[in-house]
Amino acid sequence: MAGGGGGEEGEFGFQIAPMVDVVFVLMLFFMAITGDKVTEKELRIALPSGQAATDGQVKTPIIVDILSDGTVFVNNVQMGSGASDRQLLQLRELLTRSLEASPEDPVIIRPAPDAKQERVVDVLNACSATKVVKNLSFS
Amino acid sequence: MVPDEEPEFQIAPMIDILLVLLIFFMSIATEQVLQVNKDVVLPAALDGQDVSVQGDSQIIVNITWNEIGQSGNIIVDEKAIDAAALTARIKTMAKNDNFRVVIRADKSARYAYVKEVMRAVGGAEVGKITFSVVDKELERPAR
Repeated sequence: MAGGGGGEEGEFGFQIAPMVDVVFVLMLFFMAITGDKVTEKELRIALPSGQAATDGQVKTPIIVDILSDGTVFVNNVQMGSGASDRQLLQLRELLTRSLEASPEDPVIIRPAPDAKQERVVDVLNACSATKVVKNLSFS
Repeated sequence: MVPDEEPEFQIAPMIDILLVLLIFFMSIATEQVLQVNKDVVLPAALDGQDVSVQGDSQIIVNITWNEIGQSGNIIVDEKAIDAAALTARIKTMAKNDNFRVVIRADKSARYAYVKEVMRAVGGAEVGKITFSVVDKELERPAR
């Protein structure tokens, strides 16, 4: 690699080649650890406040049941094939359709006591993907 | 028109670019410093929102889970506390409506236990709850 060098009369000059080498190594290091990095994200919910609705509009809750084996039911209709279905596309589709029709409908998640947090997060993730945040709560 | 001098390799602009790239990767590699608990393996969720760190207006509650004993622990600031103590602690911390509780629950934790924590949060009259997730599936480290 091209570089600077000392003067002809024995003076010490700024060595550019080692600096470029070091910068390259540092850059490669940070590039490598960036690729491996796991980023922490968030899924937000609001706990029920107990305040009654004031607009008088009748709201139909969408009740999402999560059984202990990971099966998800919405208003007693099974969503997806079972616990292996992490994306819950059927649930996403249903939530999108329901909320297009009536955006104020609350979504209530009702997991079984033995349901794993991982599965609850799958459902919350589906809700987040379909922009259900405001009217989301747990039973 | 052909210039007389041959173009030569310019080292200075290359160093400029290298330094900018270096600073970029350094900054994104050290972007967030969170209260991480190694015993908690977070569940994966691809559609989570980015973390919005709000300084003092949040509390991070870690929930660990022992699969063999089927029992959990609530850990705040590296100390295990019970639900009643958590409620008292949140009550002293929550000064405004924007206060939120970040729950970092292990992916194996059972809902009944997480519900106890949510109930404790509700007991302190805080309504904003956030669940921490990661964007990649994590394996439980071998002990």
